[in-house]
Amino acid sequence: MKKIVALVLAAMMIVAAFASCGGGDNQSNSGSDNGSTANSGTDQGTGFNVDAADFGDESNATLKVWGPDAYVKLLKKQCDAFTKKFPDKNIKINVVAQGEDTAATNMLSDADAAADVFGFASDQLSRLVSAGVIAPVATKYAEAITSSNLKAAVSASTLQNPETKKDTLYAFPETGNGYYLVYDKSVVSDKDAGSLEAILADCKKAGKKFIMDAGNGYYACIFPFTGGVKIEGLEEDGLTQKFNDYDEAKVVATLKAFSKLMHEYSGTFTSLDVANISSGFVSTSKKKSVCGAGIDGNWNSTPDQEALGDNFGAAKLPTIKVDGKEEQMVSMYGYKMIGVNNASKFPRTAQILAYYLSSEECQTQRCEELGWSPTNNTVVESDVAKKNVAISALVAQSEFSVAQVNIAQTFWDPMGNLGNKLIAEDTNPDKYDFKKLFQNTISNIKDE
Amino acid sequence: MIKSYKLRRGLANTFIYILLAVLGILWVSPLAYLVIQSFNTGKEQIPQTLLPQFWGFDNYVNLFTNIGSLNFPRWYLNTFVVACFSCVISTISVLMVAYAFSRLRFKSRKKFINVGMILGMFPGFMTMIAIYYLLKAMGLTQTLVALVICYSAGAGLGFQISKGFFDTIPRALDEAATIDGANKNQIFWKIILPMSKPIVVYTVLTSFIGPWTDFILAKIIMGDARDNYTVAIGLQQMVSLEFKTRYFKQFLSGSVLVAVPVTILFLKMQSYYVEGVTAGGVKG
Repeated sequence: MKKIVALVLAAMMIVAAFASCGGGDNQSNSGSDNGSTANSGTDQGTGFNVDAADFGDESNATLKVWGPDAYVKLLKKQCDAFTKKFPDKNIKINVVAQGEDTAATNMLSDADAAADVFGFASDQLSRLVSAGVIAPVATKYAEAITSSNLKAAVSASTLQNPETKKDTLYAFPETGNGYYLVYDKSVVSDKDAGSLEAILADCKKAGKKFIMDAGNGYYACIFPFTGGVKIEGLEEDGLTQKFNDYDEAKVVATLKAFSKLMHEYSGTFTSLDVANISSGFVSTSKKKSVCGAGIDGNWNSTPDQEALGDNFGAAKLPTIKVDGKEEQMVSMYGYKMIGVNNASKFPRTAQILAYYLSSEECQTQRCEELGWSPTNNTVVESDVAKKNVAISALVAQSEFSVAQVNIAQTFWDPMGNLGNKLIAEDTNPDKYDFKKLFQNTISNIKDE
Repeated sequence: MIKSYKLRRGLANTFIYILLAVLGILWVSPLAYLVIQSFNTGKEQIPQTLLPQFWGFDNYVNLFTNIGSLNFPRWYLNTFVVACFSCVISTISVLMVAYAFSRLRFKSRKKFINVGMILGMFPGFMTMIAIYYLLKAMGLTQTLVALVICYSAGAGLGFQISKGFFDTIPRALDEAATIDGANKNQIFWKIILPMSKPIVVYTVLTSFIGPWTDFILAKIIMGDARDNYTVAIGLQQMVSLEFKTRYFKQFLSGSVLVAVPVTILFLKMQSYYVEGVTAGGVKG
């Protein structure tokens, strides 16, 4: 009996040793391959131009691709189209549903078991780069991506290479990702949708709520951003948040204006999870809808539209009166990107697939079928994008936004706390020390 | 000061009952909300009223018929299979270890018991990453077999309560059986086990419930293999940012259904359960 146990244990150790060796080899291979891809051919124009030489000696590749659930069906179709473009390469693609919000977490927990090509949200880029699990975009495609996509999207996909200290394009832009104003047209008129005061007044008159997730840092950052605060990347340590030179008096005045308005409309202005917005828009024969307007993300545009039907309205965030002057509300605007796994066994094929998925063709399809806002210059200017109310609202809002890149991990919670304090019932907006609150928030974010 | 004893007692009782009632309501309300709202068939996903306007079984039906990439029936089956296997394996191993420590006398028995106690004090998730890489080396990640191994392999360490119970069974019975020609193995199966129903039931219950409630380990092992998820990870997926607006009510009904097998098992074996816990605790 003892002998058997000893044998089994020894066998396990040997297997473990071999398996880890194999993993190591893959990684070093892919690294050198990426370097060599950079030298091949030049490519001009915005279309998807790839010749067979780009594949190198890779054939019979099997790739795993991650996409969010809503996109899986279309993603499969696009991957099929991709394999048909290169029939002699015999590429097999396995599409697996995996949300973009948790893509980085899953990549970091085990890159070997993760997808070769994966979709993720832009704020995860710095984590992926510093862990070295994302492969830089091959130089050949980098030029094409840079010239054919929105400047902001490209700069959001670019980070400093931790080794060479050069700015490097790490991801293929996929779509814009942010939030805007949604409203029930039977409650808020298109004209009133431009001003927060008017929206709240309309909602109050109709007895409906205005829903915003004010206790969530992702939305609460609207308050200081509107006052002129901007994020300017990270300090050199790669951890601490850097801000612009804002006018503190103006920020404090803006916070006060928000807090005052929230308290003035305390029954109307409600801080709830955004999922409550689409649910709140639903009205039935027995029950009227409870929500009149809200600040919702573009990923919820389908349930919002289904709930409101013809009454669905979307626009950029409204303005708010601060010391008698109308100030445009400023939001956080991120992107969804496509990345290539650094540990991929078929790095060249994976790069080409990622390049295809961010191409004009695929962006148009996503825009048409899913309502995803494009980042490709040609698609942005196309009728498909311009006709979609939600996309237009998102694009309009993107002009008044701070890019969601290089956000410190410590950013979200203090911002959420700030939002909670502004709306809290025991906060008296006329007496409360907003200056101290704001200074505390900033120092908490900087972790001082 | 109130003189009347009756009045005083009445007042004290009222106060206590009010307090207990409030605590009771607080404790039951999330459960009640879960069950009630799981029958809500309104159009909105996040319920906006305390009591549903429309009642029906739609959420339950959807859970099993409207299968997108969140395949609840599959998860349910996965969990059930894993729970059954790990329940059988870990029950047998726990009882055998307990029997050995209780009845057999061998060198360093005390030391083994102590080592077992100490190992049991480390939180399970401490070794999780190591477990993951070991499983990966064996090519078992993202499989249900891995879960069964994880849930049952270390189960023997939880022998203390069973050992305490076995210690209360008179050794005279063993000796009588030995005189009649039984060996240690036969004594375990034919004498000790039939007398230990309460502790067997207790072990079955705890090892069956484990896989239904475990989240962290299953999440790490399964990664992106959605078809191999257990209900715990699956339900969490339903309320993740990506799915909440579409699956919230199915999440509610799913949570109710998860409780069903555990509740049935518990009701069936309830009378033994209390006996097992208390009897096992008599002598450690």
